[in-house]
Amino acid sequence: MLKIYLFLLLISFQNVYAQPNCNYYKLSGDQKKYEACKAAEKREGHYQFSWAYQNALDEALAIDSTFSYAYSAKSTAYLKSGDFVTWVELMNKAVEIAPADHLDYRGWCRYQFFRDYEGAIEDILWLKKLNKNHIGFSVNGDYHLDVALALCYKATNRTDEAIIILENKMKDPQFMTGLYDHLHLGVMYLEKGDYQKASEQFKLQEQKNDLAENRFYAAIASRLSDDEDSYLFHLKMAKKHYLNGQKMFDPYTEHIDKIFLSDITNEEQKNFKTEASEVNGYVLRRQ
Amino acid sequence: MSDGRTKERSLSFLNKDFDMDRFFILLFFCGLLGCSSGQPPFRWVGDIDPNPKLDNPNFLLCHSENDVRQYFNMSKGLSFEGEKPAIVSYFENNYKPVDVLESGWIRVRFIVNCKGQSGRFRMLESDEHYKERPFDKKISNQIFTLTTQLSGWKILQEKSEAVDYYQYLLFKIKDGQIVKILP
Repeated sequence: MLKIYLFLLLISFQNVYAQPNCNYYKLSGDQKKYEACKAAEKREGHYQFSWAYQNALDEALAIDSTFSYAYSAKSTAYLKSGDFVTWVELMNKAVEIAPADHLDYRGWCRYQFFRDYEGAIEDILWLKKLNKNHIGFSVNGDYHLDVALALCYKATNRTDEAIIILENKMKDPQFMTGLYDHLHLGVMYLEKGDYQKASEQFKLQEQKNDLAENRFYAAIASRLSDDEDSYLFHLKMAKKHYLNGQKMFDPYTEHIDKIFLSDITNEEQKNFKTEASEVNGYVLRRQ
Repeated sequence: MSDGRTKERSLSFLNKDFDMDRFFILLFFCGLLGCSSGQPPFRWVGDIDPNPKLDNPNFLLCHSENDVRQYFNMSKGLSFEGEKPAIVSYFENNYKPVDVLESGWIRVRFIVNCKGQSGRFRMLESDEHYKERPFDKKISNQIFTLTTQLSGWKILQEKSEAVDYYQYLLFKIKDGQIVKILP
C-alpha cells in the first residue's frame, strides 16, 4: 500500500514545473530532500524574477545540493531575461542530477528560445531513450515533444524524417493533435512540393484551429496548383484572420511557420499568373 | 546564485582599506538606505543598473527602477513597428558578414522607456555550447551598434499607462553570419 501511495505522490509531480510534493521525500525516508523541498516552497507567491523567489531556492540547495528541481526553477527567470549562460549552467546541473526529469525542459527551451535544433534533438532523443519514448509535451503545452523533434529535423534539412514522425503520430489513435500540428505537416508537404497533401492538412488545421497561417499557406498551395479562386479566397481569409488576431502567438518567442502581415501583403503584390507553378516546393523562410 | 553585479560590488567593497570613519559613514548611509542583512541584493533577476560610463545620459526611465517590466509581461510578444520582419531586414541590410569562423549567440538586452526610446544596452556573448566568451569585435561591435541604432520599439501599456520594459535581441551566429534573430 505504501508503495502505491509513494508512486502516486511521485507521479503527482512528474511535471517538473509543478510544485513538488514534499511528502514523497518524507515517506521515502529522504529527510534532507524533504527539508530542501519545504524550503523551496517559500518561493510560492513570489515572482520568479524576485530575490525572494530565488533566495528560497538557494536555501533549498544549501540544504541539499542534489535537489534538482531547485536548479530548474531558478533557471527560468534567467532564460526569460535572455541570460542564457546562467540558464544553461543551472539546467546542466539539473540534468546531470536527474536527466529524465529535466531533459524535456532543457530540450524544448533549446529549440524555442535559441533555435538550437541540434541541441534540442540531442536532448529529446536522450529523453526518449531514458523514458522508453514517453516524452510528454513542451513546457507551454503547444506541442508533443515528438512534434518538436520533427520541427527540429525540418529546420536541419531532414524534412522527410520530420514528415514520417508527424504522419506516424497522426495515425496513432492515442495521439491528440496539438494546436498547430496539421499546419506544420502541411507546410512540410508544401516544401516538398506535394500540394494536394498540403491542402488536406491545411483543411484539417482549419477545422481544428483556423488561423491566418493555415489560410496563407493554403493560398500558396492553391497558387502552386494554378487554382486562382482558391488562392484569392484563402489569401483574403489570411489577412482577415491576421488583423483579427487569429494567428500563431507566443508571448516569448515566435513559432516556426508563423507569418507576419508583410508576408501577406508581399503575396498580394505578386502576379498570380507569372508566379504560379514556376517552382516545385515552397519555403517562406528557413527558420 | 547571486548575480554578477552584486559580486562586483562586494569585491570592490572588500578591496578598500577600511577605517573606523568609513565604517561609521557606511553605517549612517545603511541606516538611511535600509541596508541590513535582510535587504535583497538585487531587485529582479537581470536588472540593468544605470552606468554613466556606458549609458546615454539623455535616456531616462519614466517610472522607478523597481518598476521596469519584462517585454512579455504585457502578453504582446515582440512589439516593433513592422513586426519581426522589419528587424530582420534591418540587420540583413546593415550587418556585414564577417569572415571569421566563430559561432554561438550574442544577446543585447536593453530598456525601452514609456516614450519608445531604448537605452542601457548590455551584451552577453557565448560560443555554440552556451559558454561565455567574446566574439571577434568585428562581429560583436557591429551587432551592438546596430542594435543601439535600431528604432521602432513600440510603447507598451498596462492599464492604459505606458510602461518601461526590458527587451532583448538574441542573434544566432554561424561562422560570422547572423542565421537567426530571436525572440
